[in-house]
Amino acid sequence: MAENYMELKVLSDSKNEAFARNVVAAFCVELNPTVDQIDDIKTAVSEAVTNCVVHGYAKGEPGEITIKAHIQNATLHIEVSDSGVGIADISEALQPYFTTRPDEERSGMGFTVMETFMDSLEVTSDPRVGTTVRMTKCLG
Amino acid sequence: MIDHKLVGSTLYIGIRGELDENSAKGIRQRLDELTEAPGMEKAVFELSELTFMDSTGIGVLLGRYNKLKARGVPIFIANPRGNIDRVLTLSGIYGIMPKIEYSHGKR
Repeated sequence: MAENYMELKVLSDSKNEAFARNVVAAFCVELNPTVDQIDDIKTAVSEAVTNCVVHGYAKGEPGEITIKAHIQNATLHIEVSDSGVGIADISEALQPYFTTRPDEERSGMGFTVMETFMDSLEVTSDPRVGTTVRMTKCLG
Repeated sequence: MIDHKLVGSTLYIGIRGELDENSAKGIRQRLDELTEAPGMEKAVFELSELTFMDSTGIGVLLGRYNKLKARGVPIFIANPRGNIDRVLTLSGIYGIMPKIEYSHGKR
């Protein structure tokens, strides 16, 4: 059965969002995804990477984002992680429309989009080690 | 990235390309400049050439809604592509910025 993996490390900067989502989209092409599935994956990856850029690191602090993707049979596993400040309350962060930055016109819909567009979403966070988002999508 | 035309008292704004955290600042600024136009009674954001948008775009649209609402100017969203339509639908934004079909007088 098909198995493949990739890992990408980028500077935590919004200019890398399009790069990261396009890399993951290109990586999963071997599973023959539909256009809609590719769009779902790009959007979910963009949300996860944006979270790292906007919330992962203290303002002005440089940081790194790691994007891993793994194909196992017909399932795409994606992991997006930072080594930043962590999420104080994950269940609160997962609520639709919850944002810690309402003053910046943020919708608070990032995790809701990931959850809706992917088949599974798991968020782990520790203030000492950062935040990791794991998502899967079956492309069979 | 953005073009516009005023037809009567309706301002049509076409947003092209990709709307994410990286492009949001410039797009937000341009939308605010354009929607300051005097005499405008209605704004239509035409999205047929917007190829990507994540939830950052929802924040940008909501921000413009709040600004124009204060002036009593409604905003409509026209012709979003499938992927963007799904994000917009999920956010519930059509409840305050209705979706319309806009075909006449393409830009």
